[in-house]
Parts: sequence; structure tokens; C-alpha cells
Amino acid sequence: MAGVRLENVTKRYGQKTAVKNLSLTCKEGEFFSIVGPTGAGKTTILSMIAGIEELTSGKIFFNDYEVSRLPPQERNVSMAFESYNLYPHFKVYDNIAFPLRAPRWNLKLSKQDERRRVEQIAGFLGIEELLDRLPQHLSGGQKQRVSLARALVRQPEVYLLDEPIAHLDARLKFSTQTLLKEFASKYRSTIIYVTHDYREALGLSDRIAILRKGEIEQESTPEELYNHPVTDYVGSLLGEPPMNLIDGVMISKENQTYFEVHDGALIRIEDNLVDAMKNTARQENGRVVTRLGIRVEDIRLNRQKLSDNSIQLPVYAIVQEAESSIVTFELKESFLHVRTRSDKGLCDYRLSEMLWLEFDQSRMFFYQNTVDLSKV
Amino acid sequence: MSTIDVHNVWKIYPRGNVIGVKDLSFNCRDKEFLAILGPSGGGKSSTLRMLAGLEEISKGEIQFDGVIVNKMGPAERNIALAFESYALYQRLSVYENIAFPLRARKLKDVEVDHKVMSIAKLLDLTSILNKYPPELAGGHQQRVSLARAFVRKPNVTLLDEPISHMDQRVRAQLRARIRHLHDDLGLTTVYVTHDQAEAISLADRIAIINQAELQQIGTIEEIWNQPANRFVAYFVGEPAMNFILGELVDQQHVAVAAAQDKRVFEFKGQLKTKPAESAVTIGVRPQQIKVSRTEPSTTAVAATVKIVEFQGETTVLTVTLADRAKSDVKVVVSSGEKIGTGNNVWLHFAPDIIHLFDGETPVLQRQIG
Repeated sequence: MAGVRLENVTKRYGQKTAVKNLSLTCKEGEFFSIVGPTGAGKTTILSMIAGIEELTSGKIFFNDYEVSRLPPQERNVSMAFESYNLYPHFKVYDNIAFPLRAPRWNLKLSKQDERRRVEQIAGFLGIEELLDRLPQHLSGGQKQRVSLARALVRQPEVYLLDEPIAHLDARLKFSTQTLLKEFASKYRSTIIYVTHDYREALGLSDRIAILRKGEIEQESTPEELYNHPVTDYVGSLLGEPPMNLIDGVMISKENQTYFEVHDGALIRIEDNLVDAMKNTARQENGRVVTRLGIRVEDIRLNRQKLSDNSIQLPVYAIVQEAESSIVTFELKESFLHVRTRSDKGLCDYRLSEMLWLEFDQSRMFFYQNTVDLSKV
Repeated sequence: MSTIDVHNVWKIYPRGNVIGVKDLSFNCRDKEFLAILGPSGGGKSSTLRMLAGLEEISKGEIQFDGVIVNKMGPAERNIALAFESYALYQRLSVYENIAFPLRARKLKDVEVDHKVMSIAKLLDLTSILNKYPPELAGGHQQRVSLARAFVRKPNVTLLDEPISHMDQRVRAQLRARIRHLHDDLGLTTVYVTHDQAEAISLADRIAIINQAELQQIGTIEEIWNQPANRFVAYFVGEPAMNFILGELVDQQHVAVAAAQDKRVFEFKGQLKTKPAESAVTIGVRPQQIKVSRTEPSTTAVAATVKIVEFQGETTVLTVTLADRAKSDVKVVVSSGEKIGTGNNVWLHFAPDIIHLFDGETPVLQRQIG
């Protein structure tokens, strides 16, 4: 296994810059995810590491060995594509065995050893019953697991996995995700993993790079990304529901600073947060506006007022989760979601009931506005 | 008043004599939000299509407000439909898309305008009424599709997976909007989905359909606490319920065969039947298991942490039990607890979280509350 390092990598297609002066390091044995929406440049990065796409500029290293100009077959990588790319005339068994037979790797496995390896990985991913079938007789989810098995059957220097479980149904997706994590930790594999699904990335990764328009917005551990998103963009990507983002007016009176969440509903801001507020503030129609980020679990609901950090709003809607509820409030420019846990089943709040919301000051963030908040 | 009664309904597809829906009976009460939940191919879409009048009922009857609607077409049933694919008219403005069902009923322009404007206001569409669908993002298109469904007061609103493919930010907002509209307009809503989280989040009651048959209908608490069979127990909840081999000790205790000894747990509830050989499957939900780093009592079972999956507020642990079968068990813990791969932990099953199954059948009548 090898570590992978990208140094100032740029990829342009004509006038369009898909990847912009990007540097990242995935250490040996690390599970590293690249997360972002469609078109952010995720697959382009993976293709450049594999050698399928040429770099416009910059360098790629496996350990200390530069591979930037090597053709794909000279780079010891295994790739799973979102589009499966199975050989239609080969049975599932031969599709999975294919990388073991490639002359380039000179494995020269005996028939028995080959069968053992193929059956082992197929059994691990729960597709051992499909080995004699042709790809055309498989569902999308089955094809995807075959494609993943083919990528994992051989040990390369680095695994490159592009949305490898995106097409599985929910239950199978979660269980396959757990299997992938087991595989990664058992073999201490270097894995670079591309996904648009933040849940997969949080669960699987040692570290994650959040990609936005060809650039890295934040690169960190899952815990750090979740607990300290550096921009509103990162906050808005992670969490179910994601972080609340609220644009509000900054108000100073009698040596105190307040944030207006909604028409006249103010929360008092503790002194240590005032600088962060000022640094992110902007002028808008003669008022000083900033953007508050707070997670759904960091607001407490109550029928009584609890503190100065509280405001009162009417309930817009209540939806349940297995052991909690999400209570939604409507603000002028966004919705505000709050997760509430009650000891016994359902929360008994009612539509339009006025509730107090208490904001946890230690879990509040202020951001410059870089994402569109318009309500959906 | 809008109620739905489904009586012994069958859907038999003549080609190949395939049974799509088998002897299905359930009801949806006035102003209720009912979810029909199940895996794809299980019969839920056939059910929806029969409710909508898009498909013939082979046997049995469906009543809306006590009136048999078997022979009525979709228009006569006064239903509103919204599908996963928005099916908006691309060449009509948002306004005209929403107005379409009203114009089809030949309402006067003033009436049309009044209704369109009021639903547009409710769904925050006022500013985009002059735009065309291709100009809109997916979330907005879905909102227009919902507005079109809700613009005339239908007897019944049928929604087919309208938000399951959206990203999580949009999904959270649309869930809130749909539930708000339902409550605010006093609608009777049937929502079809394969996504158990979606069903739980929106519905007052859930009807679970699998292999053409109704498995269970009930509130979320009923389904969560007293699943009718092992399929339901496994299908609802994420991560899914764990199943561990055990054996009955007496009317109040069950044991897990641990490596060295037996670990005996008390359970709450009434045994319905005693399985032969007293071998039972213990069901425990990952969200309800307590984990400690030190052995809390003799009624805890030792385990080793195999995989740790951070999910934000919570973390999912996969642990290997020190039982004879070396079962893998999933546990949801708060992310604040620092537990890592390879750690030794103890799992505590409280008496009121234990489910017992004999094969597919639950054998414990649990006490709820």
C-alpha cells in the first residue's frame, strides 16, 4: 500500500476549470473521502490519480514516486466505477477474477487459489450466488457489488472507489458500508473514496475533503468537520437535517450584542462570540447582517422561557424520527429545524403552538454567506 | 369527511396469473396521514394505483366516504396525485401548471386566480409564478407539483415517493411542508414509500405491505414496540433490529450462551407461546442497548468493538458478542462517548427493550409504556 499526494493539481477542459490548484495528502493505510455535489470535480480527481485523465498542471505522487506522467497500466491502482463497467460477455466470476489474471501484475495464481480469492470476496459482499450469472441478468445493485468485488479482489497500492454503493437500496447500502469499513481496517488499505453522500463519508473515513467547484473547502476528520465546519457550505452539507443557517441582524444596545433570529426575536450573544460575529458581518439595506449556523440538536425546546438565549416561535410542523422528533419553525428566509428527544415516544407539541427555543451558545457559529438559503 | 376503506382487495394480473395484492384490508381515517411502506415489488404501488383509479380492482372493494369507487375513473374520485417524477407541463408557466386541474374543471378565472394565489402563498411560490419548469431546481419543481396536487380541495391526497430522491436539506424542508399542509388544510393523505424513515417522519399510521400482503398497520409506537412479525421488526428502524440466539430460562428470563457461562436477562411482558426446545431469537434495537466500558452487572454481555461509524450526533458501533455464535450486534451511541475499534465493552439489555421470536413469529406480548 502507498500514500497518495496531489501537489497543485489543475485540470482544465477548454475554458472550464474542473480542478483548481488542488493539493491533498492521503496517508498510507488511510480511508480518505472526497465529498461534494455533482460537478464539483470529484470523479475528475479520481481519474487523474488513476491516470485515465491527464493533468493540466501539477504533480501526483505514490509515496515519494511521481506517477503524474505514467499511463494507467503503470500505476498500481484498483478502481470501481459508479457505472460498473462490467464485461458483458463474462460471467460474474470472470469479471471478478479479471484483475487477478492481468499479466501486468504477474500473480500467476493457480485455478484453486484464484477461485478461493474470488469466492472469498464474493462471500464477503454477499454475492456468492451470482458467480455463474452474466451481468445482463443482474439488478443495478447486484452489478454494483460485482464491480466493487472486482476492485477489492486484488491488493494494489491504492483503491479508488467512485460512488461504489450509490445504487444499492437503503438497507443494503448501510450494511455494505459497514463491510467496506471492516475491509479497510482489516487490510489497512489506502482507499480514496468519492461520494456525494455525506453519511457514507462520515461513517467510513479517517479524513474527508469537502470539494466545492474544484477546490477543497475543508479537509479534516469526520468529527472535526461535523463539530466545527469552517464555512456555511460545509455546515449545510453535513447532518440529517443539515446545520440550520439563519441570516439575521446584529444589534447592539446597552453594551450587549444581540442576534435577531426573526422579527424582533433576539438572542443575547456572549462576549466571546461577538468578534466572530463582527468578522462575518455585512451591510445590507443599512443594517448589519450576519449568518448564524447551529445544528438541529443544539437548540432546546420548552414551553417555558429558560434563559436570555431563548426566543419564542410558533410550530410550523412536526415530523418524527424513530426515537426523536424534528420540530420545524418558519423564519422569513429559511426554515429552522430542531431535534427534540422525549423520554417517552412522541413529543406532544401542537401545530402553531408557541414554543421557546434556547440556543446553545457554545455550539453557535457565524459565517460569511456563501450559499443560497432560499427556501425549498 | 374523507375516509378510505379497503375491503378484501385483490389485484391479479392476468398475464402469468401474478398476484400483485392479496386480500388487502385497511382503512384510512378522516384527516389521517397514512403511509404505505414496503420494499419495491411488494404491492404498494399496485395498491396506490387502485386507490387512484389508475388500475382495475380484481376482487374486493374500495370505498371513499362509504361510497364504492371501484368503477369510478380517477377524475370522479376527486383525488390529488403527486409522483416522484414531477410531471409538470414544461411549456406552461408555474401559474398555469398549478391552475391546470382547475381549468380542467372549467372554473371561472377569478376563482382560479384566487385558488392558485392562496396555495402559492402557502408554498412560497408567489415569486416564481411566471417562471417555467425548466428554469427551476428540483426542489422547486416538486413544490409546484405539490401545489398542483393541493390546489383544489381533494377528498384524498395520494403521494408517491415525492421527496425520497432529494438531498437532505431539501428533504427536511419538504417533509415539514407536506406535514404542515396536511395539518393546515385538514387533508386525508396516503403516502407511498419504500423508505422507512420517510414513513416514520410523516405518517400518523403506517401500513406495511410485503409480498402482496399487509404485514401490519399501526402507529409508529405500535410498530416499533410490537412488530407483527420478524420482517416488520427488521424493516422498520435504521440500523435494523439485532437478532441474537438465546434460550428461554423461565417466564421472565432469557439467556444468551456466552463463551464461559450463560448471561441471563430479565424481560418484560407476557409469553404468548413457549417455543419448542425453548430456543428463541432475541430482538434488540441498536438505539436501545446501553453500552459501558466497565462491567456494570452480571446481566451484561461482553463484546469487542469491531467497527465504528461516526454519523454526526450519533455513532454506530458494530460489536462482536462473546456469545457462542460470535454474533455481530449494532449499537447506536452518542458521539460524545469515546469508544474505539478493539475496545472491550459490555452491553446491557434492559427488560423493556427485549423482543422474542420463534422463527418469524413474535412470542412475547410486550408491555408498552
